[in-house]
Amino acid sequence: MPVALLTGAAGGLGVATARRLAQDGYRVVVTDRTPGSRLDDLAAEVGGAALAADLADPAAARRLVGEVEERTGGIDVLVANHAYMTMAPVEEHDPDDWWRVVDTNLGGTFALAQAVAGPMTRRGSGRIVVICSEWGVVGWPGATAYSASKAGLVALVKSLGRELAPAGVVVNGIAPGVVDTPQLQVDADAAGLTLAAMHAEYARDIPLGRIGRPEEIAAAVAFLASPRVGALVGQVLQLNGGSTRTRA
Amino acid sequence: MSADAARAARVAVVSGAASGIGAAIAGRLRRSGWRVAGLDLQTAADVDLAVRLDMTDAAAVAAAVARAEDELGPVEVAVSAAGHYAMAALADVDDEAWSRMLRVHLGGLLHLTRAVLPPMRSRRAGCLVAVGSEIAIGGGDGDSHYAAAKGAVHGFVRALAAEVAPDGVRANVVAPGPTDTPLLAADSPWRDPEYLRTLPARRLVRADEIAETVRFVVEEATFMTGEVVSPNAGAVI
Repeated sequence: MPVALLTGAAGGLGVATARRLAQDGYRVVVTDRTPGSRLDDLAAEVGGAALAADLADPAAARRLVGEVEERTGGIDVLVANHAYMTMAPVEEHDPDDWWRVVDTNLGGTFALAQAVAGPMTRRGSGRIVVICSEWGVVGWPGATAYSASKAGLVALVKSLGRELAPAGVVVNGIAPGVVDTPQLQVDADAAGLTLAAMHAEYARDIPLGRIGRPEEIAAAVAFLASPRVGALVGQVLQLNGGSTRTRA
Repeated sequence: MSADAARAARVAVVSGAASGIGAAIAGRLRRSGWRVAGLDLQTAADVDLAVRLDMTDAAAVAAAVARAEDELGPVEVAVSAAGHYAMAALADVDDEAWSRMLRVHLGGLLHLTRAVLPPMRSRRAGCLVAVGSEIAIGGGDGDSHYAAAKGAVHGFVRALAAEVAPDGVRANVVAPGPTDTPLLAADSPWRDPEYLRTLPARRLVRADEIAETVRFVVEEATFMTGEVVSPNAGAVI
């Protein structure tokens, strides 16, 4: 049974992804920042294991990978899905918090990738799927930290994709647009809107006329994780309902 | 397949279905439960309905799609994979070669789109996939007419995606890198081991990888439209 390590597993995308990977036959190790019943219940549901790690700390990321490698005999798929997000006007964003966003999202993924790259290249196989964001491609007002961290992930995916492909390790990313997860409450609070109004506001600017479903992102993770297509190198799939235009 | 199952099966039209990438796509969709009408200059083998035609002939394409609707059922998916590849310095691209390249790739896609779109829009469901190329993104020495044709395909699809999204129809490009098909001659520079060593994946793309990518776009990438997906062995990023 192939092993998948999934970070940010307790969030909206994480839960859908854990379920999808389990359905596709993976043993899924689910991790999130804080231990608790939510994570344990998910692990029990998908038949995997739960581990907690604060990925803002590179040492914690390395320990996590080491422990999973040891307990499972090897990670076939790493899905870096964890994210920390705060929004604030640029003049008001607390610098410490700004760096925490970048350190968690970009630094945490780098530390995870660095730790799995050795074992994966030694085995000559492996898949790394990084959850980036539409905001890392087109930017977003009030989200300089998050957008910068996610844009960093886009470039990390391209570089790692090129670097590891010769060794048989396939690295790609997904840049979801707005997806129906509990994270939307953060955006709604920042905009001073109700959640329902926030949904409607986002959907209005999306050509397909709706926001995404977590299962749609999970399906893309499963596609990129599968061994069937090794010719995708450093690609970032944009699942955003067709949004290409920025509006003030 | 039982009569009930046949009626329930969803229908796709694939151009260029007799060989190479198009044939791989037709076969992959069939194994995933689709009924496939294959349009090609040659008779496609791994399809449910084979129609021989030239994709530059708009009336023939419209008639073929009408036949697919009639014999197989409502066409939910159209894949434009018909094409040919030739390298030539710009000075050596004569008017006929230029015209043929544009007429087959862009004209074929246009004719297919015009034929399938009205019923898709009225049913508020549909998915178009055009096979593009990494050369449309990265260009290449000796590829001016091919890059122009494929670049137009990419631009056409992105604009189309915006136009038909409100009707529930998606349009995307799958842009392969150099792929191991009969389209690449045995002495093609794309098969040169020295070239292959420059690719991050160190090998040509396999047609089944393109086909699996198209299947994903069709069946599972339901929040993706106007996008270019590039299984290209890392040729361009």
